Amino acid sequence: MKCLETERLFRYAYHLLNESEASQVSAHLESCPRCREIVAQHIRLDVLLDDWKAPGPRPGFDVRVRRATEAQPGNVGAWRLWGLEWTRGLALACLATLMVVGVAWYRHSYRRPFGAPAITGRPSHSARAGARSSPGMKIKPSPSGNDSEIEQTEGVPAAPGAVASWNEDKDAQALEDYDLAANFDLLSELPERASQNAN
Amino acid sequence: MVLESDLELMLRVREGDAASFEVLLHRYRVPLVSFFCRMVRDQGLAEDLAQEVFLRVYKSRERYQPEARFTTWLYRIAMNLALNAIRDRKDAVSETPDGDSDSGSVFDRFADPQPTVEERLMQVDRQRLIRQAVEALPERQRAAVILHKYQEVDHRQIAKILSLTESAVKSLLFRAYETLRVRLEPLLREGQI
Repeated sequence: MKCLETERLFRYAYHLLNESEASQVSAHLESCPRCREIVAQHIRLDVLLDDWKAPGPRPGFDVRVRRATEAQPGNVGAWRLWGLEWTRGLALACLATLMVVGVAWYRHSYRRPFGAPAITGRPSHSARAGARSSPGMKIKPSPSGNDSEIEQTEGVPAAPGAVASWNEDKDAQALEDYDLAANFDLLSELPERASQNAN
Repeated sequence: MVLESDLELMLRVREGDAASFEVLLHRYRVPLVSFFCRMVRDQGLAEDLAQEVFLRVYKSRERYQPEARFTTWLYRIAMNLALNAIRDRKDAVSETPDGDSDSGSVFDRFADPQPTVEERLMQVDRQRLIRQAVEALPERQRAAVILHKYQEVDHRQIAKILSLTESAVKSLLFRAYETLRVRLEPLLREGQI
């Protein structure tokens, strides 16, 4: 019987033949000790090669890789955020939300015309809304002393219920005074000054 | 617990999921470092090269297209780096008087800690012979054997990694294993293993 070529025997040993080819080789091996020995040597070679061990990574390898990836230019912030514990990320998100809400609330509550002076006695929302729509008004202290009232200075009627505002165009002096009147002590002087300006 | 496939993990890495990258790192750090250790015979360099592979995977995560198996892509990067490193170091390695000089290398530390002195010496000697036989193979044959035998990559994947046809890989493997069988024949005689 003619011996098989060694490549075929190798493919048989390493399961690289299809089923029919493999069965032909099997049949030949039963009657050919030489080919059988070659196949046996390939199988023993496979076992022998297992003896060549190679080490894995040393401790700290993962940290090195992580640092290298984090140091990449263009590394997105979100990627780094993932490196934080999720609770820290959540805390940061809550803090950011609180800050946004706080700023929005502050701006809504203390809204006033750009460049207008701050006032100490906070007018009611409806009064502010009315005053904003009423040019040609002037500040007049309320008899109760709590809020100032609005006096009509031009043809435009003051909004009903308006108790505090600024006559931006016509009464700059009153504005200055009002600014000074940020201290409550000066509020009492406003009626006199207002009447002087009117005269 | 169902293990997530490399593909699923890589797709999540592409979306910016760092945890998935960690899983891939944990899954492939040992195979990659071992692969490079066998290819370049220097553990420090092997770790540097393995790190470079992970870095390249990370850098190209946004361009990743799941066309081939993840391991094919991974080992393709690794193979290119290994071959470049071997070429870069060729002169330095050739200056080494003989391969025996590293009998106390890192590979020897992985022998069974229990055997007797005589067994250990035999084991060290056998490892040295195997290593020398594999290292004496031409570059591509060596790469094919290491991928096939130690990384358990099948011949179809090896074909893609080395940009060869499947039948070319079978022939490459045959020539490599046949050479090893002849060179290591004294160790392969019955009763030697």
